[in-house]
Amino acid sequence: MNDMRLTERTVDATDIKIAARKVQVFYGTTHAIKDVDVDILDKTVTAFIGPSGCGKSTFLRCINRMNDTIDICRVEGDILLDGEDIYDKKVDPVQLRARVGMVFQKPNPFPKSIYDNVAYGPKIHGQVKNKAELDEIVEASLRKAALWNEVKDRLDAPGTGLSGGQQQRLCIARAVATSPEVLLMDEPCSALDPIATAQVEELIDELRENFSVVIVTHSMQQAARVSQRTAFFHLGNLVEFGETGQIFTNPRDPRTESYITGRIG
Amino acid sequence: MTLADMSHRPSLYTLDARTKARNAAEKRFRLYGITAVSLGVLALVVLLTSVLGSGLGAFRQTMFTLPVTLDAAVLDKKGNRNPEEMAKATTITYGKVLTQALAAVVTERGLAPEGMKTKEIGALISKEAPASLRNMVLANPDLLGTTIDFEVLANGRIDGFFKGRVTMESAELDSNVSPAQLQLAQAMKEAGMLRLAFNPAFITNPDASELRPESAGLGVAILGSAYMMVIVLALALPIGVAASIYLEEFAPQNRFTDLIEVNIANLAAVPSIVFGILGLAVFINYAELPQSSPLVGGLVLTLMTLPTIIIATRAALKAVPPSIKDAALGVGASKMQTIFHHVLPLALPGILTGTIIGLAQALGETAPLLLIGMVAFVKDYPAAPPEGFLDPAAALPVQVYNFTQRSDPAFIERASGAIIVLLVFLLTMNILAVLLRRRFERRW
Repeated sequence: MNDMRLTERTVDATDIKIAARKVQVFYGTTHAIKDVDVDILDKTVTAFIGPSGCGKSTFLRCINRMNDTIDICRVEGDILLDGEDIYDKKVDPVQLRARVGMVFQKPNPFPKSIYDNVAYGPKIHGQVKNKAELDEIVEASLRKAALWNEVKDRLDAPGTGLSGGQQQRLCIARAVATSPEVLLMDEPCSALDPIATAQVEELIDELRENFSVVIVTHSMQQAARVSQRTAFFHLGNLVEFGETGQIFTNPRDPRTESYITGRIG
Repeated sequence: MTLADMSHRPSLYTLDARTKARNAAEKRFRLYGITAVSLGVLALVVLLTSVLGSGLGAFRQTMFTLPVTLDAAVLDKKGNRNPEEMAKATTITYGKVLTQALAAVVTERGLAPEGMKTKEIGALISKEAPASLRNMVLANPDLLGTTIDFEVLANGRIDGFFKGRVTMESAELDSNVSPAQLQLAQAMKEAGMLRLAFNPAFITNPDASELRPESAGLGVAILGSAYMMVIVLALALPIGVAASIYLEEFAPQNRFTDLIEVNIANLAAVPSIVFGILGLAVFINYAELPQSSPLVGGLVLTLMTLPTIIIATRAALKAVPPSIKDAALGVGASKMQTIFHHVLPLALPGILTGTIIGLAQALGETAPLLLIGMVAFVKDYPAAPPEGFLDPAAALPVQVYNFTQRSDPAFIERASGAIIVLLVFLLTMNILAVLLRRRFERRW
């Protein structure tokens, strides 16, 4: 992986997939996210960087309404997916999450077989009519997650028996199995070793062909390697958002510069 | 650093004062632990020895085989083999038949001491024997006129003599047995007539009155307890699990749910007799369900077991890692799907363990059952379920209590025997809990 390829990255698409306007998030009385405006483009990898506790994961979890499960969490402002407000009363978060998949920080496969892990999403969403179709989806998803060759002979083995990197790729396969339009990744490599990280990063780049990917990461190198656009969060504010190359080589905000040069964070 | 500098440092080979004190403290703590565990084991050993020592005898009973000629002229005076007419011959008549049969045998063998009256010889026979012989004949009138080998239980005092409970000295003072009778029993034993054999009737027989400790059994109590456990399981498990899932996963966190939580915790600590009074007031006085019935007992025990199951289930649900819930929600499972596909299966071992512990607690519960009439003397087996749920029945722990209340020392042995049966049931349930836990626990 070469960190210096930044400027070669071009943004292929310009369609806005997700538009966030004046998003505020409160945990009880704590104001965790303040006035965030972000446009996430289709078929693009967008990275959220920033020091711990800056709100990047919180904002990520707003995009598929995972924050709904936290009682004291309150979201204000608009987040539009293809022009539709996902916080509208008519929206069922379950339907939304089928379109906006998520991969978590710690690999969290279900304590079931590899096959069942991937097949679960398509099954509950009624996306398949028979076993053959399901087999096909499972294989395609595992191939997309670059895991097929390693597990094709032991699909009935427990998913939790895989190595950490394999587990995380299994979770990615599980997330892509429902063919979402957006894939949210919350520090997907923080629990992985460098080799597994490289594999997942390569995978993210490939996933860009089909999905809009949003990745939260602590590693600026990783953001530089995999993303086309980068957003820098600090203390709940979106400080700067732009092309990855520009953020890393020519940041406009002094706070961004301090962070990427290692002075804050 | 030079070697000279290093020589000022303490050697690793000698322990300094702090390390010595720490090690001593650790040693002391281990000693406390070993003492505590030893005390516990000792208490258990004493308990088991005492219970087994006095209770195992209940599973063996003194009995003998008696050839009895069923004289039709005595037992069926009309001679028409009509059971209704034959029923006019009472147990007193049958008692005489048995007495004469025994007297004939012991006289023939020359076992009876000089001058012993026939009636005294007959007193060796359990008072239960005439009734069971009568039932046998009424059920099968063809036996009349034949000679059958009839299994007779010896009287409780005779049984006690062979188990060391009754001695020649105590018999002197006892109006129920005389030294002469004991001598006869001893002679019968030496002649190979009497034997101390395994007594399955202790498990199957219903309770018996004061006068016949030798025939008292646990049949009705075991059935009653089993019926109650079925009711408790069928009611407490689904209600408890449903309530826990709702409280843990769906209910909003507010003052009202806090209040419910406090109340559940309190209910688990309410003395069981209070549940008995509640059951008496609600199920018997208000709902007019029959007294002494396993249904009422089961309902009361359900109320008692619910808090235990709810607390255990909630703990099991809480222990499921949130990452699994996130994973399921993340792929778009609804709350219900998340719970039933992922959370509940993972919580199942904990739920089962909690349920079985709750059931075991309910099985041993006595106080509330006393209040709803299960302390009554019940001679008839309850019918098969579901009608049997409304028939009067006893319960194992109450049977223990009942046995201990009686004056005849023969019942002490039976109370301990009942405790052994109860302990065996509890042990079985706990082993089942461990096995189920192993079976359902995800190994990955």
